Formats: sequence, structure tokens, C-alpha cells
Amino acid sequence: MEHNKSYALSLGLSIFILLAALTGVEYLVAVTVASVFLLVVIALAKAGLVLYYYMHIYRLNRSDLEADRHSYAYKTGSNRFGLWLFLLSDSFVFGGLLVTRFGLLGNTRPDLNQTLGLAVTAVLLISSFFMNRAETSMEHGDRKGFLIGTAATILLGVGFLAGVVGLEWPLAIHEGLTPDSGPAGAVFFMLTGMHAFHVFTGVIFLVIVFRNGLRGLYSAEKHWAVEAAAVYWHFVDVVWIFFYPALYLIGTHL
Amino acid sequence: MKKFLSTGLMRGLAFQILGTLAGAGFVTLIRFLMGLKIWGWDKTTYGFTEPAWVFGGLVGVLSFLYGTRVLDDWLKWAAGKETHERHEDPPGWVKFFGPSLDHKVIGIQYTVTSLILLSVGGLFALIFRTELAASGLQFLDPDLYNTLMSLHGIVMIVSILLGIAGVMNYLVPMMIGAADMTFPRLNAFSFWIAVPAAVLLLSSLALGGFDTGWTGYPPLSARAPLGMQMFFLGVFVAGWSSILGALNLLATVLRLRARGMTAFRMPIFVWAAVATSIISLTATQLIGLSFQLVMFQRLFGMGFFDPAKGGNPIIFQHLFWFYSHPAVYVFVLPGLGIISELLPVFARKPLFGYKWVAMSSLGIALVGFLVWAHHMFTSGMNEYLRVPFMYSTLLVAVPTGVKFFSWVATLWGGKIETPTPMMFVLAGLVVFLLGGLSGPPNATVSTDLHLHDTYFIVGHFHDTMFGGYVFPFFAALYYWFPKATGKKLNEKLGHWHFWLMTSGMLVLTLWMMRVGLLGMRRRIADYDPALGFDLSHLVMTVAAFAIALSVLIFFVNVYTSLRKGQAATGNVWNSRSPEWQVPSPMPAHNYEKEFRVVGEPYDYGLPGSAYVKFED
Repeated sequence: MEHNKSYALSLGLSIFILLAALTGVEYLVAVTVASVFLLVVIALAKAGLVLYYYMHIYRLNRSDLEADRHSYAYKTGSNRFGLWLFLLSDSFVFGGLLVTRFGLLGNTRPDLNQTLGLAVTAVLLISSFFMNRAETSMEHGDRKGFLIGTAATILLGVGFLAGVVGLEWPLAIHEGLTPDSGPAGAVFFMLTGMHAFHVFTGVIFLVIVFRNGLRGLYSAEKHWAVEAAAVYWHFVDVVWIFFYPALYLIGTHL
Repeated sequence: MKKFLSTGLMRGLAFQILGTLAGAGFVTLIRFLMGLKIWGWDKTTYGFTEPAWVFGGLVGVLSFLYGTRVLDDWLKWAAGKETHERHEDPPGWVKFFGPSLDHKVIGIQYTVTSLILLSVGGLFALIFRTELAASGLQFLDPDLYNTLMSLHGIVMIVSILLGIAGVMNYLVPMMIGAADMTFPRLNAFSFWIAVPAAVLLLSSLALGGFDTGWTGYPPLSARAPLGMQMFFLGVFVAGWSSILGALNLLATVLRLRARGMTAFRMPIFVWAAVATSIISLTATQLIGLSFQLVMFQRLFGMGFFDPAKGGNPIIFQHLFWFYSHPAVYVFVLPGLGIISELLPVFARKPLFGYKWVAMSSLGIALVGFLVWAHHMFTSGMNEYLRVPFMYSTLLVAVPTGVKFFSWVATLWGGKIETPTPMMFVLAGLVVFLLGGLSGPPNATVSTDLHLHDTYFIVGHFHDTMFGGYVFPFFAALYYWFPKATGKKLNEKLGHWHFWLMTSGMLVLTLWMMRVGLLGMRRRIADYDPALGFDLSHLVMTVAAFAIALSVLIFFVNVYTSLRKGQAATGNVWNSRSPEWQVPSPMPAHNYEKEFRVVGEPYDYGLPGSAYVKFED
């Protein structure tokens, strides 16, 4: 699955366009037929695309057990397993939050600002595109492309946080949806809060990688930290792929 | 003394205290600026307010980790600096009190911490057991009784988690022929984060305690004293220890097995460790989440489980038991693995049905994810959930039965030797059978409705924990003690330990089941003398003291054997396992030469067969 650079970059762009189109379809489905089944299918499709094309889950399948165990490549393979096990573990937190959301609110949802919801979703999706671009550039030894892509991702990540915590939260509180107003408020703040915390840690991770990249610590062969930051970032995006419909689209609003 | 005060442990504790005060002070300052209450003295405000204590507790944990220097290498990596690939430990006892990267040192750190917590949790049990020896309240008030009972539960759970982590940490890399775990720094981190967690849990005793039992059900836990928050935070932090340890173990087994060690040639204990780690890795997040939600309900008024606001406490129980039932398989699977590991050694016969035993561990782990709601038959959940969960629970008996069948068939016709470790294995087998047989009445809805809040459950539970964890754990300690120290534990003291513990255990739990069937309710500080249980409770209390005495004998045994025990540097048990093919104690980084797996692990008694061959 190793491609030349321009192919890999245009693949990333195509996947981004597909994801954006699916997000648009998702929104239209929600406002027209409001089919929960379709929304779940679309979310699963989006998550699948990110897992395969952006997070490269197939890399886990590389058989290298006979390789030299002290080599960088073998250790990277082990690190990759460690990271994915962590993501598996973490996804149970988000799964538990979804159970809480549907257990408490069922087929209702809080009344939220739809424009803002779509806007922050778009910001996070675009950040994933740049993250993929940054990682692909590093894989091909293009340090400048990597730095630009990472910087863009950091800015968009901060933009997402500003959108959710800086705009959405005060807006919700202003409209009476406070953390202590009832299950809807509690669920909204808990889900967005937990996700925002993960975005925040992802931004820190990216800042560290950016700084070390600036000092020339990564090369086409040795850049595990870049890959890890990218996979983590995309994972946080996958979580939002499920949280966005769960909070904004599914159910009738209260 | 000066050397001790400058160890990682003492630095960490000092940092934890300072960090807690700094965190609490920070929140207090913010509250002061916002014009909120900053100081007081009632059941949720012990000097500092509740939010200040909670945030302080969290900062204290992070400060502890920073203070022990277990984060140093990661911080260097983040700053773009190189670190040494291998750390050498200082010689002598100092290495056990600071962050070591050697999996054997960490395994011993885990095990000793576990034994300390076992003693603390056992002491709590003795105190309230003594209170129960006669009807009427003698020296405890109900609040303190509840706190001690709750702390007994959670301290024992953390003790067991650390105990299995210790045994797995020590054994798995050696058994699979690895020099260490895949992530040695994460391994050290996983151990050291458990220490401040234990401190937090015990600090709840000084901050008003908590009266909910270790399950922490809301709505009661939403209005319990401040100790509740320390309990939640402590469990949450201890959970990370468990999760990251499991992650490391899975990565180690996946990536660092010796050449030729295919899945079905792994030692059976490694299979058990894998099954356990799958549960710890994933399900533990749910108890952390459920406790976090109650913490936030208390701190920010978020009404997840508050019926007055439209919340639903049953959701908490679903999240909580999704971990806390599989957790009991986390506790017992490594123990059952030890039983399967040691039986062939002492019966001098191949393990019967190796593949089936391997798969049964995974089977128990996977079925274990589908049974949680059997804890909720009486708690008002939807009735249509009862029967499916009854059947899924009864299904657990199938893989467990596979294990028993294998054990009995392994013993059948064997040349059985019974040194102390084997005695503990056999007792574990019998006691776990009692625990297993008393399980189905609790899993069956009709009988559970009667038994649920009685001592029958308490007796059943303690039989499974002793049979599945305590006995195999001590078997492992007696068995691998020579590997770690080069000395053998004294057999005579071992026998005293064994007979006192086994008889005390059987009397205690069988009596618990008996009074439970007769109507003795659990979790209460007092009972009506007219029930006629006074004598039974006295018997149980005496039995509990016998168990405590047996553990004391074990400690004496460890101390004297370390000082002047019989030297044992060779293959003392005549085992085929690779770690016994090299002299004890094991050096740092384990094997000098790599080995290749050339045969089946448990072909005891087959002449000319070998499991591993060391490369020249």
C-alpha cells in the first residue's frame, strides 16, 4: 500500500471530499427523512473511511515477526499495536457516553444551534485532511509540507475548541441548557466536554511534534511520533463522527 | 535512613501532599475570587470545600508521578532529547523503592504492594467482623461500620488487581522468552500510578468515609460524605494502572514471543493473562466513566442519576456492572491459569486438553461481557432483561466446567506430589468448586430474588475469590519465590499457613452461606438477637482470625526464609518451563541466550521430549 507522494496526497484529498459529501448527505437526511438507520449507516461509512485511509489500520497486519527485534521498524510496529490498543480502550469511554446519552434521552435531543454544529464538524473534518497531508508529506521526506500541514491542523483544532467551548457552551447556557438543568444538559456538556478534552490533548501532542519537527528530528524512515499524533487526531475525529449525529441529528429536539 | 527518604516513593509522597495542597489552594483561590464558600466543616467540607479536595486529589496524583521521576524519560522525549535504551538499577533494596524499568522488579513491587493492601483490607474486615461477633453495637457506629465494610471491598479489589499484575508482570516476559515488557516505561508508570490511588482510597477514611459499599450506587453516593469523592477518584486512578498494565501485557505477548512459540504452544498461564488483559483493557473504562459521572453530578449538579431532575440511577448500574462483573473474571482467570500451570508439574502428566483450556479462558472473558445485569435482578431494571441475562450467566459454567474437567483429568492417574504450592493449588480447586456451585442459585432469577441481599452471596463471593485468586496467588508465591530470591520458603510454616487458611476459609464461607439461607442480611452493622445467629457469627469471627493468623505466618515465613532459607538456585520443581532452565535468581534482562520452542509445553512424563531449546 505504499504509493508515490502525489498519488498519496490526491488520495487523501479524494477521501476528504467523500467525507465532506457524506456529512452533507447526513445533514440532509436528518432534516428530511430523519431516519436513524440511515444516519447510523452514514456514520459507520465515514468512520470506516477514516480508519482505513487516514488511520491506516491495515498497517497492524504487517507480518514482521521474523524481523530484527531491535530495529526501529520492529519497534514502530510494537508501538503501533500499543497505540491501537489504547484507542480500543478509549473507545469504550465514548461508547459508554453514547449508552448514557441514549439511555437517558432516548429518541430526544437537546435543542442546539445547528449552524454552529455543522460549522465545528466541518472545521474538525478539514483539520483531519491537513493532518493526513502532514503525515503523508513526512512519509515522503517533505519536511516543509509536514510543518505546514501540522500548523494548519493545530490552528483548526484550536478553532474547533473555540467553537465548542467558546461559542457553543455559552450559547447553550444562555438558552437555559446548563449542566445542572437536567439529563439533556448533563449529557450535552459531558459528551462535548470529554471530546473537547481529547481534542485538547491532541493539540498538545501536535504542538510537541511540530516543535520537534521544526528542529529536524523526523525523517521519512523515522517519524513514529508523527504517525502516532496523526492516528490519535483522526481517532478524535472518528469519535466526533458519532457524537455529531448523536447530539445534533438523531431524535426530536426537546 | 537518608537513602530511604530520597527514594522515588518518598519523593512521590512528599510531592503528592504538596500537589494536593496546591491544587486545593488553587480552587479555593478561584472560589474566593468568585465569591463562593471557601472554608467550612461539615460532611462534605473538611476545611477545603469538596471541589477543592477533588481537584487537589487529582493534582496530587500527577505530582506524585512527577516526584517519583517515572515521567522523566517521556518528558525528555517530548523535549526532543534522547534517553538511554536500557536503565541499570542500583544494587540492593533501593531499587524497589524507586522507578525501575525491569519487569521483575516491577512485578515484585506490585506483589509487595498487593500484600500490604491485602493486610490493610483484611484488618478492616477483622474490625467489623469482631463487631458482628455478637448482636448489638459494641464498639463501631453504623457510619464507621459502613465505611470499613466499603473500604474492605475496594482495598481488596485493588489488592487483587495489583497482585495479578505482579504475577503477570513477573512471569509473562520470562515465560515467553522476552528480555522485558514491550513498553518498560509504561510498565513502571502503571505500577507507580497505583500507589497514589491507594493513598486516595485510604484518605477517604479521614474525610468522612462513605457508606455505600464498594459499588457506590447513586442516589446514595450522590449525597454521601466527602470520602465518597476520594473513593471515586482513587478507583478512577487505579483503573488507569489496570488498563495500561493490560495494554502492555497484550503488546508484549503479541510482539515479543520467542521463536517457534505459536499461539497454541504458549504456556497456559499466558493464555489466562491475555484473557484477563482483554477485559481490563476495555471494560475498566466503564467503571471509571460511571464514577466520573457521579463525581460530576456531585460537583456540577449534572443530573445523570438524579430522578428529581429526570435522570436515571439504573443507567449507573449498567455502566458500573459492565466492568464490575467481568472484573471478577479479571481476578480469577490468572489464578485459574496458575492452577492449570502447576497441576501438570506436580502430577507429572501432560495438561489434559491444553487447547480447550486455552480457549476456555477466552471463552470466560468473552461470555463475561454479556452477563452484567444479573447483579440487577432486584434493582428495578426492565423485567424483560432478566431471563436473557440469567441464561448468559449460566453459560459461564460451560467454559469453567471445561477447566474443571481438565484439572480432574490431569490429576487422574498422576504421580502426585504435594509440596506447599501444590497444596494451595488443590485447595484453590476445591474452594473454587464450592464458589462455582453456589453461583447458579444466584444467577437464577427466582432464587436470586430471595438470596440477593443475604450472606449467601457473601459466602459465594468469598469462595470464588479465595478459590480463584487467594489460594492460587499463594501457590504462585510459594512456587516462584525461589526464582525471585534463590531461596525456598519454609515447608513447615507453609503447611501451617495452608491448614489454618483452608480450614478458616471453609468454616467462614460455609457458615456465611448457612446464615444467609436462614435470612441473615448482608451489609448491616447489627442484627436481631432473636434470629439466633449470635453463635454462628462468633464462629465466623474466630474463622476470620484464623485466616488472618495464617497470613501472618506467611509473612514470618517470607522474612525468615529470605534471611536463612534453604538455597534453591536450580530447577527445584523439575519444571519444563523456560524460566526454570536457567539458575535462580533471574538476572536483569533475563536470558543470556535466546531459546526456541521445539515441543509442547506440558508433555510431562514423555521421555525425550523438550519444550524449549536454548540457541548456542
